[in-house]
Amino acid sequence: HIQYERVGADVTMKCGSMDWDAAVTWTANGTDIDESHLNGSYLILKNVDLSQSGQYSCYEGSSWHLKYQTYLRVGTPPKEPVLMCRSNNYPKGFYCSWHLPTPTYIPNTFNISVIHGTKDMVCEKDAVPKNRCHIRYLQLFSTVKYKVTLTVTNALGKNFTTLTFDEFAIVKPDPPESVVAKPVPNNPRRLEVSWQNPSSWPDPESFPLKFFLRYRPLILDQWQHVELSDGTSHTITDAYAGKEYIIQVAAKDNDIGTWSDWSVAVHATPWTEEPKHLTTEAQITETTSASTSSFMAPPTTKICDKGAMVGSGAMAVCWTAGLVVAAYSVLFI
Amino acid sequence: GDSWGIFTFLCAALCNLPALPALNCSEELGAGQSIQQTYDLTRYLEHQLRTLAGTYLNYLGPPFNEPDFNPPRLARAERVPSATVDLDLWRGLTDNARLAANYRAYSRLLCYLRVLDGQVGTAELRHRLAHFCASLQGLVLSIGGVMSSLGYPLPAGPAGPSAPPGAPAAPNDFLKKMDDFWLLKELQTWLWRSAKDFNRLKKKVPPAVVTLRLEARGF
Repeated sequence: HIQYERVGADVTMKCGSMDWDAAVTWTANGTDIDESHLNGSYLILKNVDLSQSGQYSCYEGSSWHLKYQTYLRVGTPPKEPVLMCRSNNYPKGFYCSWHLPTPTYIPNTFNISVIHGTKDMVCEKDAVPKNRCHIRYLQLFSTVKYKVTLTVTNALGKNFTTLTFDEFAIVKPDPPESVVAKPVPNNPRRLEVSWQNPSSWPDPESFPLKFFLRYRPLILDQWQHVELSDGTSHTITDAYAGKEYIIQVAAKDNDIGTWSDWSVAVHATPWTEEPKHLTTEAQITETTSASTSSFMAPPTTKICDKGAMVGSGAMAVCWTAGLVVAAYSVLFI
Repeated sequence: GDSWGIFTFLCAALCNLPALPALNCSEELGAGQSIQQTYDLTRYLEHQLRTLAGTYLNYLGPPFNEPDFNPPRLARAERVPSATVDLDLWRGLTDNARLAANYRAYSRLLCYLRVLDGQVGTAELRHRLAHFCASLQGLVLSIGGVMSSLGYPLPAGPAGPSAPPGAPAAPNDFLKKMDDFWLLKELQTWLWRSAKDFNRLKKKVPPAVVTLRLEARGF
């Protein structure tokens, strides 16, 4: 037997069919409850909180027979649920996922209904993740909106929310996959970036995606952007030599919907010449003046010049010098 | 975001329109390029329609201009050609059928829009509608051009600016406004569908096809 009560409620438990004036002992999770909580044989719990959830048992005074047992679950009625619908596999269909903004601490059931014009559609629940269902489009290019209603019910109440949308409004692909950024040999200012269509997008031939690339050196906050209407690769040609870059790509259907989230970030540093052993100042000056790029760090920060992928410790040292360089570089963009 | 690109395409597309009829296709303009231009035109029209629809729906007044207005489809609205199509059917359309569906739809939509143009109240709306009708006419011609260059016959369409056949006048003002609302909706949906139709055609029709067909026709 389970009993559900709201947080803050006053709960009265009767000891089964025992009379009010019978002598009983109540326990909560095996621990005796003090007589001050009793009104005769009734157990009174005032202003219950979550910690008072548990098993309550009532025993007859002398014989210690179990007369009544209940499991008290303290919780709240559901608040308005949060519902989101999205088509990441257009034109196959769409999925909806939902959650409660605050926990209720007791079991909830969700019921979802999808209406398209006059037709009721079935949203098939996914096993994983929970709280998600998907629908297959039977028709494309519909003028009639879809109306999705999610109702959440538990022992203490119910609530619901509704979403109404056009077929094309919820199209949002998954981010591009397998983003790879590589330096280009003998090109100290280039980075070659390539990626793949998200695997969830079923038909890139008829429903091509366009892409948005953003990149910045780790030491700067401002991103640079490139929009690409086709192709799944791009060469950055204005990278600062020797600086580690962070790069991300997003995708969107060519004509409808919204941009995907950004892909996983990749890091890369443009190709630099093999560093020679810098034992004298003269050699350092030779190395830096040989490079044609005007954005290399001045000789005093020789630690920064070494190698492509420097560890975070060295990057910290580079910081001040890098900022100075960056400040001047930004002026020259 | 896309506005400037679309305007550039418009200029390119509209400037090249006179060259689209089949006879001139033996020049560099292959069917592939015409399809690209038709695609660009649909994108431009979609952009133009957004402004036009906003203005027109405000003119109709509430509830038509409310963003979540979602009325049931009345039987009388079915006469406006619908872009809605079964997914597998759409995939399986032949190039000819795909182009013909677009051609027929826009020809009829153009007729309806022209009727609208004659009835509208404000000067601003008349101006916008007239501009849109001109662009839409360009789209119909463009599609016709693609069909001719591929050797497909043009579907027999409605003759001219006369009222579309079998169109009963709306019995009251509200139903008339509903008709207008659905007309704009269907237009919007068609433009968005055409982008997908022409994407598919782009991939399937290589420019070389044009030369072969022209040779077969004795040019």
